[in-house]
Amino acid sequence: MSPDAIPPPPQKPFVIQKARTRFFGLTLDETIRVFFGGNALTAVVVLALITFFLFREGSEFFGQNRESITLYRKAGLEYVDYMRAQQESHTALTRYLFDIRLRAFKQLTQDQGLPPAQANEQLADLDAFAGRYSDTIEPVRGFVSELTDVAVAIKEKYTVNRDAEKERAQFLAAGMTAEAAEVKTKAIDFKAELAPLVGVTPAYVEAANGVAAAIKEMLPSLPKLPASTSGFAERLERFQELNRQYLATFPETQKKLEAWDFQKPVPTLDTFTGFIFGKDWKTASFWQDWYGVVPLFVGSLMVSVIALFMAVPLGVGAAIYINQFASAREQRLVKPAIEFISAIPSVVLGFFGIAVLGQALRALSQIEALSWVPGFPFSERLNALTAGCLLALIAVPTIFTLAEDALNNVPRAFKEASFALGASRMQTILRIIVPASLSGIVSAILLGLGRVIGETMVVLLCAGNRIAIPDFTQGLTAFMQPVHTMTGIIAQEMGEVVRGEIHYRALFMVGLVLFFIALLINFLAQKIVRKYRVSIG
Amino acid sequence: METISTTPTVTVASSSGATPASRSFKVSSAPSDAQPAETLINIENFDFYYGAKQALFDINLKLDDKRVTAFIGPSGCGKSTLLRCLNRMNDLIDGTSVKRGKVTVRGIDINGGDVDPIELRKRVGMVFQKSNPFPKSIYENVIYGLRIQGETNKTRLDEVVEKSLRGAALWDEVKDRLHESGLGLSGGQQQRLCIARTIAVSPEIILMDEPCSALDPIATAKVEELIHDLKKEFTIIIVTHSMQQAARCSDKTAFFYMGKLVEYADTRTIFMNPANPQTEAYVSGRFG
Repeated sequence: MSPDAIPPPPQKPFVIQKARTRFFGLTLDETIRVFFGGNALTAVVVLALITFFLFREGSEFFGQNRESITLYRKAGLEYVDYMRAQQESHTALTRYLFDIRLRAFKQLTQDQGLPPAQANEQLADLDAFAGRYSDTIEPVRGFVSELTDVAVAIKEKYTVNRDAEKERAQFLAAGMTAEAAEVKTKAIDFKAELAPLVGVTPAYVEAANGVAAAIKEMLPSLPKLPASTSGFAERLERFQELNRQYLATFPETQKKLEAWDFQKPVPTLDTFTGFIFGKDWKTASFWQDWYGVVPLFVGSLMVSVIALFMAVPLGVGAAIYINQFASAREQRLVKPAIEFISAIPSVVLGFFGIAVLGQALRALSQIEALSWVPGFPFSERLNALTAGCLLALIAVPTIFTLAEDALNNVPRAFKEASFALGASRMQTILRIIVPASLSGIVSAILLGLGRVIGETMVVLLCAGNRIAIPDFTQGLTAFMQPVHTMTGIIAQEMGEVVRGEIHYRALFMVGLVLFFIALLINFLAQKIVRKYRVSIG
Repeated sequence: METISTTPTVTVASSSGATPASRSFKVSSAPSDAQPAETLINIENFDFYYGAKQALFDINLKLDDKRVTAFIGPSGCGKSTLLRCLNRMNDLIDGTSVKRGKVTVRGIDINGGDVDPIELRKRVGMVFQKSNPFPKSIYENVIYGLRIQGETNKTRLDEVVEKSLRGAALWDEVKDRLHESGLGLSGGQQQRLCIARTIAVSPEIILMDEPCSALDPIATAKVEELIHDLKKEFTIIIVTHSMQQAARCSDKTAFFYMGKLVEYADTRTIFMNPANPQTEAYVSGRFG
């Protein structure tokens, strides 16, 4: 071994093991994993719970609704309603007649400048006829008002008895046997109670036939309007026709009354269809409560249609402008401004709607020069149009932002290729950029729709809250009528209902319908977006 | 004029092209028709700016009609910028401006006030570095240029599709699936589809911005062959990073460096006997 041989360097130990910090027996990585995984799990669990409780609270509606409809039949309300329908049809016809008179009067006084007294004189024949016509229904009206009291009394008895039974059950459950025995209940013999009601059928049928005969007899004597008026021949002919249709329903009503049986069971399906297709939402009524979602659904749909009708051109147009035309400065200015709209609390927007927009729209509709617009002029300040305009404002930022993203995702190369082939800017936008981002734009619109359907405060404040299906026979006028919406009704009535009552359940059912609509919209939007990713490649 | 009978060969130290194994360029022969070419595009004292930054300095260049001219040079030397000036594609970029000089095509100043860039682009087509067929069918891709000009005659459109696809050597491969998406084609096919789309509007000049840089050698060979055929009808200006490609397909070559035109001559001269030492250094692969 030579003296200057260098000793080999000491071997560096191969240390790869290390003690790790542990929290509750978990390493740092595992802790982070548990933390984030836990958050994700909580979100899923909460969603599942919401769905579960929505279903649980809503599902009992059907049983209660069935009970309600059964009582409606057993207490004879249904029976009285057959008669009432006849009376109400007659009232509608009388109104039709008065409407003709009103129009004729207006023509005479306003267009021809006759003094009111003279106009009234000319219309005296019609007035006499209308008076006699309106009196024909009197016999039926008598029956209806008398029997209404009977039916309501039966229903009242049943309700009192049911409440007593509930009270007793509660006492028993609490172990208070003595008190439970105190509570008096008495089963109701519907058959006996209904006897005065059903016994009346022959008399009523006779009265109804009398009404029919009276109408038939007086129809030919329907007077003509003064020769100086015009355009009423058709209306009078229509009145005759409506009367013929009305009279044709008499035998059917008679058959229904005679075949009516209070014991006929209510099919389970009726409780479901009665909700989904029911045209009435009537609550806290002395007569019968109806829970039909259609007027609310139609209201929601109408305001959404109005909102999208305005928000789609505005949102998509603004997105195209900002993406394709605007200078960098304009972009910096306009983008935050539009996005800021979504920062305005919707209750503030609703307030704006009541205080400013509703007034302004009504004033606008009353301008003479604009009377050609369908639905103008209107007198309701708060209606579907007002709410729709404000909802459009809410949908615009969503549609704008997402549509702009979609346009941004179109590769620049497409645009350049199109320009290089001699396309103008407009051709490039319409033929290349918009088609390439179309699915993105459509899903933006769908998400905007989701935003609008779910909006509550604005519609509650500005839609007018009249629970009725607007009259679509007048065309677009329907959009200027007040409506109520699914979200609005939940917000308005949920605070006032008794927990567990049928009304409470019905509101949950409305919530479920909303839930499914939102689910459907999101599903469609996602499906379209997925397709869009594939097509761009 | 005497045509060159033997293919000249240049040996270089290395190459940045697709075939590193080969160390030699085949320089294409002089134009086969051997007629002196006319000048089609004339660039005079041309300065071009991106905002405040000058990208092109005093370019003077005459480009020949029905010939292939190659622009070569290292990245950022301004060759693509100049190419895009020829059909005013730079108009689409904010802040660009021509500060001095002019570009004339057949004597008309293309930056003149009465020139419609849309009309200009119909006459000066462009093929891009990355193939960019529209997300439409092959058929619709080819006739896009005609559609926007308002052509609706089905027979005429069918004719143009076949002629253009044949012209781009793609017809046999796609004739049975004209109505399938253009995005379903391979990279090379897509690039030829883009060429078909460009020639469908029958331009006079075709600008090609590194048309083969994203293609494999076989697809590249096909496109180069196509360029050779196309020059019978069109004037072609091609920007390329591959010196073999410039050598193979062009008649004349312009070498740019730092926004300036360093040398412009017959391709043969540029590769075999460059006058400028920078050109020599670049084509022999010592820098770039």
